[in-house]
Amino acid sequence: MSENFPPYFLKRVFAVWYRHQKCYCKDLIPNALPPFLEPLLYLLAIGYGVGQYLPDMEGLRYVVFLAPGMMATSSVYSATLETTYGTFIRLEYQKVYANLLATPITFKELYLGELLWCGTKGFLFSIAVLLVLTGFGLVTYPLALLTPIVGFLNACVFGILGMFVTSIVYNINNFNLYFSGFITPIFFFSGTFFPLIQLPEVLQKVALMIPLTHTVILMRALTTNHFSPNLWIHLLWLVGLSLPFAFLGYRNLKNRLIGHSL
Amino acid sequence: MLESQPVIVAKNLRKRYQHIIAVDGVSFDVHAGEFFGLLGPNGAGKTTIMKMLYHFCKRSEGELKVLGFDPEKDISKYQLGIVPQENNLDPELSLWENLYVYCNYYGMDPKIRFDRIETLLDFFNLGNYKHRNIRELSGGIKRQLVIVRSLLNNPKLLLLDEPTTGLDPAARHLIWNKLRELKKSGITLLLTTHYMEEAAHLCDRLLIMDTGRILIEGKPRELVNEHFEKFVLEIEQDFPASVEIRKENDGSHFFYYSNNEFILRSLLEKSANTNYKATGASILRQPTLEDLFLKLTGKNFS
Repeated sequence: MSENFPPYFLKRVFAVWYRHQKCYCKDLIPNALPPFLEPLLYLLAIGYGVGQYLPDMEGLRYVVFLAPGMMATSSVYSATLETTYGTFIRLEYQKVYANLLATPITFKELYLGELLWCGTKGFLFSIAVLLVLTGFGLVTYPLALLTPIVGFLNACVFGILGMFVTSIVYNINNFNLYFSGFITPIFFFSGTFFPLIQLPEVLQKVALMIPLTHTVILMRALTTNHFSPNLWIHLLWLVGLSLPFAFLGYRNLKNRLIGHSL
Repeated sequence: MLESQPVIVAKNLRKRYQHIIAVDGVSFDVHAGEFFGLLGPNGAGKTTIMKMLYHFCKRSEGELKVLGFDPEKDISKYQLGIVPQENNLDPELSLWENLYVYCNYYGMDPKIRFDRIETLLDFFNLGNYKHRNIRELSGGIKRQLVIVRSLLNNPKLLLLDEPTTGLDPAARHLIWNKLRELKKSGITLLLTTHYMEEAAHLCDRLLIMDTGRILIEGKPRELVNEHFEKFVLEIEQDFPASVEIRKENDGSHFFYYSNNEFILRSLLEKSANTNYKATGASILRQPTLEDLFLKLTGKNFS
C-alpha cells in the first residue's frame, strides 16, 4: 500500500514543527527552566535590587516598568538562538534539512515550519514570564493576556532576522558578531531598562528603527493594561521591517541548500 | 502513469558551478522494475545527478522526468525513497522516533505507522535496536536504518547513493541481499557506487561516468565481454605477447588477456618455475567490471 498523494501544505509545515517540538521536549527540564529562571533573576537583582534606588519611570514603579522588557527580551533570545546556532547546526552539522528535503517537505514548508516553531517558543516563553510576573503582582489583566501573542510575533520577527543572518554566515563563530554587535546592544537600548527619552536624540531615532523597541512598547501597554490605537503602528512596523529580511533569508538559504549544494 | 513509460527519463542534464561543470550532458532512461547503476570515480557527478532526481540540487540545463513529473516543478517526492550518501539520521531522536517523525513528513496515517515501522524493522532484523539512541549504533546498523527510513512510504523508486561505502563485508552482503529482495517485490532501484563488484552483483543495467560525462552504458556482463577476452592473468613478470595473448601494463603489473585459459595457465606455471621473485600475487581470473572501469577511466593503464 503506497501513499497515494503528498500531505497537504499545512500538514507539511506542521510536520517540520513537530520534529522540532519532539527534540525540544526530549530535554524538557533543561530547556524549559531558563524562561522561568532568567526573568526571575533580572527582577530580583535589577527590578527590586537596583530599582529600590531609582525614581518612577514613565509614571511606573521601576520594577513594573522593567517587567514587560523582560517579557520582550525572553522571546528575542529564544528565537535568535534557535535560528542562528540552531539553524546553522541543523543545516551544516546535523544535516536535518537535507533529510527533510528528501521527503515531501519542500523548502517553503521547511522555512515556515522553522518560523512557526520559533513563534511557538516565543508564545510559550512569554507565558512563562507572564506567570513569574503575575506571581509578583507586576501585571494588570485582562490586556496582559494578549502578551503571549506579541511574544509569538516578536519571536517570528527575530526568527526571520536570525535566519537571514544564518543564510550569509559560513562559519559558526561569526554569530558572535551578531550577538555582540546587535542583540546585546538592543537588549539594553530598546526601552527595556530605561525610557528612550534618556538617550541623545540621534540614538532615539536609531532605537525607533529597531524592532525590539516596538515590541517593548506593545508589551508595556499590555502588561499595564493601557490600550491605545497607536499600538497598531508598532505592530505594522514589526511586520513591515521583517518582510525584506524574510525575502532575503528565504532566498539565500534556499540557494545555499538547493542551488549551490554539491 | 503507464507501465511502459520509463520511471526516469533524463535528457542532456547539466550542472555548472562557479569553477567546474559537475554534470556535462548526461542522458539515460530507467525502466520500471529495473535495478540501474550510476558508476564512476569520486567526483564523477553521480551524486549531483542523484540530487537532481529529488530536487535537492537545481539543474543548470536539461530535461528530467521522474515518475512522469519534473522534480523541480511537482511534488512527486512522496513516491520516492532516498538513501543519501551521508547517514543524516536525526541525532537528537532515538531510532524509533527517527522513523516515527519521518512518517509524519509523509503525512502517514498514525494507525498504519506502527505496523509499517515494525514490518520494516523485522525485515532488516533491527527490532532489538528500537529504543536505542542514534549515537550508540554502528555504521552498518545506521546504514540499514537509513534504508528502512527510505522505505517507510512504500516508494515506487528507491534512490541509493553509495549505500555500502565504508561498511564491512558482512554488512555489505546483508544490504545487497535486502536490495535484491526489494527488487523482487517490483520496486525500481537506482544505485550509485564506486564499488564495481557491487554494481556487477546488483545492477541489471548501468552506466559508467567520469568528469560529468557518460563513458559507457549497458548490462554489466555484456560490457565486460565486449571489452575483454574471457580470461586474464595478472602477474608482475614480463612475457612476450602473441597472437592469442594481448598484453597490458599498469606500471606495476602485467595483464595478459586471452580466450584460451590453458595458454595463460601455462604462463603462470612458467613463472613459478623460474627464479623470478614475485613480490605480489599472481592471479588467473575472469575480467571484471573493475577492469573495465579502470580501462575506461584511464586512471591506471599506460
